Amino acid sequence: MSTDRDATRIVRSWLRTDEHESADRVLDHVLALLDATPQRRSLWPARRIAHMNTFAKLGIAAAAVLVVAVVGYNLLPANGGVGGGPAVSPSPSPSPSHSPTQSLRPEPTFTVGAFPAAGSLSVGRYAITENGVPFSLEVSTTGWRSDGQQIPPDGGAFTKSSGTPQSVWMIFWSIDGVYADPCGHVPGPVLSPSAADLAAAVAGLPATDIITPPSDVTIGGRPAKHVAIRFRDDVGCSPSQYYMWYDDVRCGGDDPCYRWVSASGQRNDVWIVEVNGAHVWIEAETLDAATPETIQEVQQMIDSIQFE
Amino acid sequence: MTDLVVRAQRGDRGAYALLATEIADRFLAVARRILRDLDLAEDATQQALLAIWQDLPQLRDPDRFEAWSYRLLVRACYAEGRKQRRWAPNLRLLPIDEPVSNDDLSSVVDRDELERGFRRLSIDHRAVVVLHHYLDLPIDRVADVLGIPVGTAHSRLHHAMRGLRAALDADARPPVREVAQ
Repeated sequence: MSTDRDATRIVRSWLRTDEHESADRVLDHVLALLDATPQRRSLWPARRIAHMNTFAKLGIAAAAVLVVAVVGYNLLPANGGVGGGPAVSPSPSPSPSHSPTQSLRPEPTFTVGAFPAAGSLSVGRYAITENGVPFSLEVSTTGWRSDGQQIPPDGGAFTKSSGTPQSVWMIFWSIDGVYADPCGHVPGPVLSPSAADLAAAVAGLPATDIITPPSDVTIGGRPAKHVAIRFRDDVGCSPSQYYMWYDDVRCGGDDPCYRWVSASGQRNDVWIVEVNGAHVWIEAETLDAATPETIQEVQQMIDSIQFE
Repeated sequence: MTDLVVRAQRGDRGAYALLATEIADRFLAVARRILRDLDLAEDATQQALLAIWQDLPQLRDPDRFEAWSYRLLVRACYAEGRKQRRWAPNLRLLPIDEPVSNDDLSSVVDRDELERGFRRLSIDHRAVVVLHHYLDLPIDRVADVLGIPVGTAHSRLHHAMRGLRAALDADARPPVREVAQ
């Protein structure tokens, strides 16, 4: 049995082994990209605002509101997309629902763009194909970004506030089953693609509290199941060792893809949509600090899904 | 370094090149220790260096560059760690045939067990361990870099070290080896 002091000494020694990394390759690449990478500059430095009197601040604020309103009105297309949104093909789109805090933004008219591999997501409607099922969904608020995940064969993952306790992840893929022994990493049998079977398997995962039992919902006019669970603190192993579910077929190669728990106490909402004998698996992963507004945004995205 | 930071904030690419050259190796070393994967660490380092260049004009106090830049690096590690965590190939553990006596445990075994134990930690916990035990940052500076309360940093360090100590004590458990499924 090691003492705390032994463990600290060994860990420190271990961290200091192999200190020969050279970042030359990375550095060359970064410096080559500088010219094409503009700096983000504050238009109104806080320091200047801080020295102004109240009337000046109010005047600037009023002018800013006026400018935004005028520019927004002039940019509002008579019939088309909002600049900066996802590009490409026209499509019929419903009016988005807005939270009360977004009153200055002109009412966007959405176009459909391909879901980007990585980077910020402009407000707009995005097309995704997962498990051979094409569909689109609407991102109606800013701050979301595609994570750049390569989810075989063509799923997507995007996030808001990643790396913070308020983070939320939305993941679109397909699975084959859940782990029978999550801490022992023993996968359960491959399940039928029926939403009912998959939802029941999720609800049966050990060391979870069921927030919403498997229930019938409709997504994009298709029958679907929704189930929500929360992982307890006593899952029996560290969260990263608790494996939830796997894709054994579509990931390619010999090894399945699988997901594990990011943090104890996390909530996973899963929607499983049946489409022409296949299914689309949609996850929203949130931590305790996720705001009600974020949860609402997730639900808005789910409600906005349209299948071709 | 502060002079380079100020010049780079004004868009001086040459100054930023010098600044990046000064910090890149250390960034890669930190990222590699957090992520335990050179490819992911290089990606995280690249992301962080570009993010630093982009956001430098918004850094109000150039003297806080070090803490601020490490925070961007750790954020990049979070992003890369997500990729690794979600889609790493599956492994399963099988008991080996021959038990290993305690006397045979060597530093190599320690390293293996540490590696395994460290990979079980979340990126949050790994970052605290690396910043504190590799960079020798005091725990209050670790908290500052990560933007978390000092108590949380202490708690994460305690939790992480407890896990690593348990890994070192793995000789008390049935030995295992990893095989690809």
